[in-house]
Amino acid sequence: MDLTPQRRFVTPLAGERVEDLAARALPDEPLGSAVDQIRSWNLHIFAMRKPAGLILGSDVVFVEPPRR
Amino acid sequence: MSGPAEAVIAGAEIAAGHDGSAELVLRLRYPNGGQGVVVLEADKGLELMAACGAAHLDELAGHSWRKLLEGTCST
Amino acid sequence: MFDVIVRNGLVVDGSGEKAFKGDVAVKDGLIAAVGEVSGPARREIDAGGRVIAPGFIDPHTHFDVQLLWDGAARPALEHGVTCIVPGNCSLSLAPLKAADRPKVVGMFQQIEEMPPEAFTQAFDWSWEDFAGYRDAIARNLSINVAPLVGHSVIRLWVMGEAAQQRTATPAEIAAMQDLLRECLAAGAVGLSTSFVDLDEHGRPVPSRFADFAELDALSAVLGEFGRMLQCVPEFYDVDITIARIDQLSELSLKHAIPTTFSPVFDNTSTPDNAPRILARVEEQFARGARVWPQMQTRPIDISFSLLRPSLFFARLPRWVRVLRQPLEARLHSLNDPDTVAKMVEDLGPDGGRKMMGGLIVRGGDAAPAEMVGRTLGEIAAERGQVPAQALIDISLAHGLDVAFLAADMGHEDTDRIGPMLAHPLVHIGASDGGAHIASFSTYGDTGYLFSEFVRKSGRLSLEHAVRKITAETADIWGLKGRGRLTPGHAADIVVFDPATIDRAEERPVFDMPGEGMRYVRDARGVDAVLVNGEVAYLGGAYTDAKSGVVCV
Repeated sequence: MDLTPQRRFVTPLAGERVEDLAARALPDEPLGSAVDQIRSWNLHIFAMRKPAGLILGSDVVFVEPPRR
Repeated sequence: MSGPAEAVIAGAEIAAGHDGSAELVLRLRYPNGGQGVVVLEADKGLELMAACGAAHLDELAGHSWRKLLEGTCST
Repeated sequence: MFDVIVRNGLVVDGSGEKAFKGDVAVKDGLIAAVGEVSGPARREIDAGGRVIAPGFIDPHTHFDVQLLWDGAARPALEHGVTCIVPGNCSLSLAPLKAADRPKVVGMFQQIEEMPPEAFTQAFDWSWEDFAGYRDAIARNLSINVAPLVGHSVIRLWVMGEAAQQRTATPAEIAAMQDLLRECLAAGAVGLSTSFVDLDEHGRPVPSRFADFAELDALSAVLGEFGRMLQCVPEFYDVDITIARIDQLSELSLKHAIPTTFSPVFDNTSTPDNAPRILARVEEQFARGARVWPQMQTRPIDISFSLLRPSLFFARLPRWVRVLRQPLEARLHSLNDPDTVAKMVEDLGPDGGRKMMGGLIVRGGDAAPAEMVGRTLGEIAAERGQVPAQALIDISLAHGLDVAFLAADMGHEDTDRIGPMLAHPLVHIGASDGGAHIASFSTYGDTGYLFSEFVRKSGRLSLEHAVRKITAETADIWGLKGRGRLTPGHAADIVVFDPATIDRAEERPVFDMPGEGMRYVRDARGVDAVLVNGEVAYLGGAYTDAKSGVVCV
């Protein structure tokens, strides 16, 4: 059975900062814009968490906005 | 129909949190039309309302997602 | 000669098959016969007009500490629960080096809200390894225990401080695998991990610093034993939860293990979430993955006091402004008649009857006993006040230390939740028994299943409801020889009145070490509970039976 496509995500590499992750996930975007988008799509990391923006090894990091 | 140029708060509600506290549930609308949810505990929720100058929950609607980052230090 | 015969009951055997009138006989701790049983027994229990069912199994609890001084996990047992799974959410009390105890105590206090005395006075902390913990609880058990081992403590054992700082090296992962193997060999029913929990300082617990490769490696060890992986996903966000379902499914398929995640809530503010989660679970099961969503039966309440600002008042800007002030200024404002008059006015012409009249005074704090359990509307009427004014006055009279409860504020729509609980892939659980003890009661979810979803709404048949919390649970967790009234199975039995089984109202008690407070709900309609053939609870009282075991 095929799985219904869901929102795409990556998991962080060891020691990866948001800039590294954004460059990896959105290589065609200017870095500033890529970081901005990654932040806006991952408010569970960048707004809800204390300290905000702490990237954990187990994180689900979305590389696109919600699909619906 | 075109959406906003960046993600904005589309609505806010108070909901019961897993730990029995009241939480602020924000719906965000993205430029592609997709909707996401952010849940804030009391302190952060009240801070957000203050940052947005919102006296009522309804007044949070339309504010940029960036308001959610205010007062935080992103790495 | 049988040891016990429970006679003349309606036998609901856990299989889901139609109930029938009959007897259940017990010998040497096992079910010996079911049906019309002739012959004598040393003890007979009359179950006329009652249901005889397998003991219930609660797959998500945090009784790890309490079991060290209370082998019945009270009040779980009196609700008919004969087997509990502690060690959820990445936290267990073993394996744990003596030097790391303070760290893990902090994490437990964050989740369980146990008083410090629970860890310093209530037991002799004599173990470090999992077998030592198993032996420490096994001496005193009235209830059966299938303990998980926590990913966070495994990480802490191997990595020390770094467990809360970074991903693990290959050597560290290998060491964690060896340690997990040792724990499973010593009786752990599986591994728990968490993507959500925090320690007492608000920092993510160690398991959250693990990358997927680490979880994959640990799951490989679970595969050697065919054991469970439990996790707490980011349940507030459906997209993340679905991503976790996919990760768990990958691990389940790769290592041939069962996995489960909890909790799944249904909320009217996000009505698509639970259906989307279940749809993904169905897709993954169709691929062969075992990824069981746990859903609790009880609704969620909101509680607050004026000691801290609460979003309960978010629609009342003046209240927010007053309550967000430092304590001294807050008290000053609440004592100012003009300010209070405006605050009350903000509630509109009904003075808060609609918004606050149904609030319940909780107790366990400075609230006077005569108010506890009553609604603010009733109390306000007696005082000749509107509820908003009464809330402020009552709070002020007791140093603001009066908690109010707004009931059924989430996961409360029986018409939506009933069909989900009945879903063949939904695992009824997530009670959190023994956690959040000073915030709300986590006991009696099984009683609520029968009162709300069987008796009141008819969303599940009696047989179906029993199956969901007995045989299905045993099968999901691989608990061999439990969950069914079948000859040869463990004689874990509950006798209850289907017309009255329920959970009682929440009440505060001070029975934790150091006279610590917790909220509990007593059982209603449960007559007798047998654990491995011995009567552990009868006629409203616990017996001296210590027949519980650590079981996998």
